Amino acid sequence: MNVKKKFKGLSDKAVGWLFIGPTVLLLLAINIYPLIYAIKMSFTNFYANKIGRVPEFVGLKNYIKVLNKEAIWEKMQVTASFMFWTLLLQAVIGLGLALLLNRKFKGNELLTTLIVLPMMLSPAVVGVFWTYLYNPQVGLFNYVINFFHDFGSFDMIGSSVLAPWSIVIVDTWMWTPFTMLICLAGLRSVPNYLYEAAEVDRANKWQQFLYITLPSVLPFLLLALLFRGIENFKMFDMVVELTSGGPGSATELASISLKREAFEKWKTGYSSAFAVILFVTIFGFGNVYVKVMNKIKER
Amino acid sequence: MRGKKMKKIMILLFVSLFSFSANSNAKSITLGWAAWDPANALQELTKEFTAETGIEVNFEFVPWPNFADRMLNELNNKGKTFDLLIGDSQWIGSGAVYGHYVKLNDFFDKEGISMNDFSPATVYAYSTWPKGSKNYYALPAMGDALAWAYRKDWFDRPELKSEFKKKHGYDLGVPANWNQLHDMCSFFQGREIDGQKRYGAAINTERGSEGITMGVTAAMYAWGMEYENPNKPYDMEGYFNSPKAVEAVEFYRKLYEDCAPPGHSDAYMVANLDAYKSGQVAFQMNWYAFWPGVSKEDKDGRVSGFFANPKQNVAAATLGGQGISVVKYSDKQDLALEYIKWFARPDVQQKWWDLGGYSCHNDVLDSPSFPTSTVYAQGFLDSMGIVKDFWQEPTFVELMLPMQEAIHDYVVNGKGTAKGALDKIIEEWVEVFEADGKL
Repeated sequence: MNVKKKFKGLSDKAVGWLFIGPTVLLLLAINIYPLIYAIKMSFTNFYANKIGRVPEFVGLKNYIKVLNKEAIWEKMQVTASFMFWTLLLQAVIGLGLALLLNRKFKGNELLTTLIVLPMMLSPAVVGVFWTYLYNPQVGLFNYVINFFHDFGSFDMIGSSVLAPWSIVIVDTWMWTPFTMLICLAGLRSVPNYLYEAAEVDRANKWQQFLYITLPSVLPFLLLALLFRGIENFKMFDMVVELTSGGPGSATELASISLKREAFEKWKTGYSSAFAVILFVTIFGFGNVYVKVMNKIKER
Repeated sequence: MRGKKMKKIMILLFVSLFSFSANSNAKSITLGWAAWDPANALQELTKEFTAETGIEVNFEFVPWPNFADRMLNELNNKGKTFDLLIGDSQWIGSGAVYGHYVKLNDFFDKEGISMNDFSPATVYAYSTWPKGSKNYYALPAMGDALAWAYRKDWFDRPELKSEFKKKHGYDLGVPANWNQLHDMCSFFQGREIDGQKRYGAAINTERGSEGITMGVTAAMYAWGMEYENPNKPYDMEGYFNSPKAVEAVEFYRKLYEDCAPPGHSDAYMVANLDAYKSGQVAFQMNWYAFWPGVSKEDKDGRVSGFFANPKQNVAAATLGGQGISVVKYSDKQDLALEYIKWFARPDVQQKWWDLGGYSCHNDVLDSPSFPTSTVYAQGFLDSMGIVKDFWQEPTFVELMLPMQEAIHDYVVNGKGTAKGALDKIIEEWVEVFEADGKL
């Protein structure tokens, strides 16, 4: 009775807070606090494995060190190149597949299921089995390529020229279905009367695609690319299993480098600064991207 | 009726709870090691310990690529999962300095366990910190060094022998130095034997953990590389990147380019074994720990020969192997120490060798029958007299990773020069030693 009375006295706002309170607390505990802690650590020379050693405040030293390190910039370049090619290929192939599957034909549903399958696999598993597919002696990949044109024996993972492409191919194979599904949702939301009106105006298929389909599907495609961009910026498991970041550092993405600095070399302060820089980078790019996307939507 | 059912359920629940608590009270310890052949031998051997003492030993074996990550994280987090740990030789520094391992001196004195009963090289490498001191943090458990296995059956073929002699002017056999090793490996590269294309050698090229470093140092030690100025610790300039060290790294790249099978760009223990067992290669570089398995599995005409790391300017081999330590955070240190006491017994050490483990006990190694007890026993003895190890500093992981990256970049990726790679490693190492207060 007392409890009932108490709740009766609460305003709508208070009840609202009561509902979202636990979530906010959880968010603060597992997201915001670690972020603030990492920022704090980034200004120290803390090593998590050196038990008993008191961390000292070093100011911006870690940030300067990260930004001046040539190897870090090399890894950022590898990450940028990986993102550029995977997003480009996934956008083009994903949209193409969506256009294909938007038509009605026999076996459409079965084909959609088959195309979507890679996306459902674990990235670590994908990394492992592609190492076998890429094996220059017994791998299916080399066999298929040589079936069309005899390139002889080539090592996708062991060559510094081919290894970056090996991870782009696997990521594209795995995640193009995601882009395709989002584009397909966009295509199915385009009302038919637009095409009918275009036909009345004697617009050809190319013009219909350029002035109706593409503008309608573009916001969906951009959203899919935003998700894929964020995911690929922090790509780790698949690449570690496939190439371990090698040969040399040809496929060492920023996230792999960060893990090595933080949990293998245990340079906690330094790697916190590195993590903050990566966070600001992706957060900044993400914000700009969303603003551009909103402008496109408004058109 | 319902009450009776409820009563039965309550009794069952009580009985199962009681049996669970009785079980959890049973004496047991957990031992952590890498997942490989010797671990299975130890599991077999340990059955006798359980029979003698009633102490159950649970094992957690972690695959090599994740071994260091898993175990070092456990120690850094003061985990209680393991009571005993067979950790890599390079961990002894961090185990001692950061207090992960129990110091065993008092225990050894009390139980009459003398380190003089164990091979000096293994005591130095696996047990002591600071190096060479009389502070013991482990009992030498598994002696090991990097060595070579070769296809003796191919070497014995008259047509191949005469062709090789004609080409190189000396007999095809165990290589006396690295130049001969290269001659022999390249002799088999791309050669068709019994209708199958074969290759020269499966060597270490793995990048993620320690593989390529363990491989390239086998060459660097043989060329006479030193990590630092013997009179000025941590002074590496002109030692680690000396002309002979550079030559050794260049040679290792040549060996990789001329003799490795296709796709062997990220290979270590298991990949080398696979390449050898599948008949792809004439030679494989690997640890002695694997030779009992290789020798036992010789079939379909395959006959394996084994030899210690060839010398070049000096005789030297890369040290492997581990000591067994008691984890400081364990609640069952007394039981763990009881295991070490049992394991140190000469009769147990003999059984350890018989089962495929590499004992470091002098009674086993000095036995007149030891050199002929297996085809690789003499090689093991030879190797243990010439072993050299990577840094055993508490910061060894920080020291290992830049070397892995720079050497892989040069040897496998073909980027830059050997001198450039070694200079880059020194630069990173100086940074690590400075942060650690050593420089």
